[in-house]
Amino acid sequence: MLCQGLSKSFGAVVALDDVSLTIEPNEFFTLLGPSGCGKTTLLRAIAGFVGLDRGSISVHGQGVDGLAPHRRPVNTVFQSYAIFPHMTAAENIAFGLEMDRWPKRRVAARVAEMLDLVQLSGLGDRRPAQLSGGQQQRVAVARALAKNPRVLLLDEPLSALDQKLRVGMQLELKRLQRETGITFIFVTHDQREALTMSDRVAVMNAGAILQIGSPQDIYERPTARFVADFIGETNFLLAEAVGGNRYRLASGVTLEAAEPGQEGLSVTLAIRPERARLSATGPVTGRVQDIVYEGTDTIFRLVLAGGESVRIRQQNSDGARPRFVIGDMAAVTLPPESVRVLTA
Amino acid sequence: MKRVQPRLLLVSPAMVVLVGLLVAPLGIMAFVSTLQRGEDGGVLWAQHTAEAYVQFIYERDLFNNLAVNTDYLRIFLRSFTLAAATAILTLLLALPTTLWMAFQPARRRALLLMVVTVPFWTNLLVRNYAWILLLRNGGVIDRGLHAVGFAHASINVLYTPAATLIGLVYSFLPYMVLPIYVSMEKIDRRLIECAYDLGAGQLRVIRRIILPLSMPGIVGGLILVFVPCLGAFVSPDLLGGGKSMMIGSLIQEQFGDARNWPFGAALAFTLFAMILVALWLHHLLFRRGLEARP
Repeated sequence: MLCQGLSKSFGAVVALDDVSLTIEPNEFFTLLGPSGCGKTTLLRAIAGFVGLDRGSISVHGQGVDGLAPHRRPVNTVFQSYAIFPHMTAAENIAFGLEMDRWPKRRVAARVAEMLDLVQLSGLGDRRPAQLSGGQQQRVAVARALAKNPRVLLLDEPLSALDQKLRVGMQLELKRLQRETGITFIFVTHDQREALTMSDRVAVMNAGAILQIGSPQDIYERPTARFVADFIGETNFLLAEAVGGNRYRLASGVTLEAAEPGQEGLSVTLAIRPERARLSATGPVTGRVQDIVYEGTDTIFRLVLAGGESVRIRQQNSDGARPRFVIGDMAAVTLPPESVRVLTA
Repeated sequence: MKRVQPRLLLVSPAMVVLVGLLVAPLGIMAFVSTLQRGEDGGVLWAQHTAEAYVQFIYERDLFNNLAVNTDYLRIFLRSFTLAAATAILTLLLALPTTLWMAFQPARRRALLLMVVTVPFWTNLLVRNYAWILLLRNGGVIDRGLHAVGFAHASINVLYTPAATLIGLVYSFLPYMVLPIYVSMEKIDRRLIECAYDLGAGQLRVIRRIILPLSMPGIVGGLILVFVPCLGAFVSPDLLGGGKSMMIGSLIQEQFGDARNWPFGAALAFTLFAMILVALWLHHLLFRRGLEARP
């Protein structure tokens, strides 16, 4: 699937700003971003519910611009399921097939197959009101998959489920995607969901795609401050490049980062709290401001000499480790390979 | 038990209104229908007879023999036919209108809804007189036809059943539009998008999604039009010329010119019973659908 230069404004609000992306066949692709970032608009543009100001979309080499939603080789799982309340589960799943004028016998066989796939065998005669939220969700997925679309679009399909059900459905969707081999485009504002399910993730903000990459890429190697901040926790330190991979902090201390920067350039260094380590002595020192015990981890907040605040997440264990109390001086070790350099 | 009393207090105004203005008058009407008519109108309060109900189906000849008389049954049948025709015509007119209205931007919908209710602001009688001016020979429509070249054309509609039908459809259209509109407006727009997404074209979205989900409004509208239409007498009298008798006119006549209160009451009560049976049937038919609604 190919999107080129997609732009869309609603009045003065820019929902999509020159968005281009390529999605491979059989890929689980996630659009991740805060609400209002344009990810749902992008999905609705692919489905054909939103007309574009500029740009073009093609699916498997076939241009779909100007095609009405019901003529596109894509199907959508809607946020609130949108199960037809006046039809049974089986009738819901059969709907799309009937629209394609499948013969009755094949429809029945396909519906049974889909019910089986989403583990709802035997519940085909239930009305939506008699199904739980998770079961309705499965009907919605089965209904969209029944037509065997080239691409399945999922618009925050798990946001209405409770936490436990959600984790179950995440694995379920991943399994369905593997078994059917259909391209999934999944919209979510939940970074954890995006990281656990996707082959690739596109992080969006303000109508633009900031970074596309594997979950590891966007977590380990964010290229923009927004990405580093939105996904997981990140410490940001303002610094100046002093040549090679070395950067000078506000306090005058220099440290090494993963990438080189042009000398004199002002940059932001980003490091995850769990990659920073607390020790008794070292070049970068500060005062312990806060200690929060979280069960598996303890979070220390250190205020450095230059005034920056750094969070350090340390796994709790039985082994001996330096003990600190609030007010102690301590050093933080920042492994060079974990210090990312952000210019944006 | 202490909890019940304040609740009783709260519902008592509604109960007083219901009993005083609905149950009691119906009781009086049922009672009157079993009385003997007075010589000069009114009723003899102590004399009971089933004469009023006998008169509905039979007539007495001079020798006091009973013979079947279908006159009144025919009036009932005619009224039912007319009411049904009105209900169906208003439905056919209302469906496209509401489909269009319900899918306008929200602000325009409020305006359109107001426009639909505008006729209610004018007296029913006045509106029916207005139709006389439109429909009569040499009236507005005839003159319009003359103006566009049909020099001697005349629609010749006034004082025919067609004119009655026009008047009834016109009067009752809002009662059909409003409940259907309410049903359609409530439909989740995502269901419609979803149907498109699954490959349905516009017509099939209407037939498979919008109409079934509007059913409560459609049935409600049919009842709201059909039932009062049965008893209507303004349009039949003014536009139909009173030439073919309707139930409403017949009942009105019994209490008026004919001075036969028991018969009028019996007619009204029979009509009431028929409508109750129809509503009960409707309830039986749609109970399943109501239970299945989320």
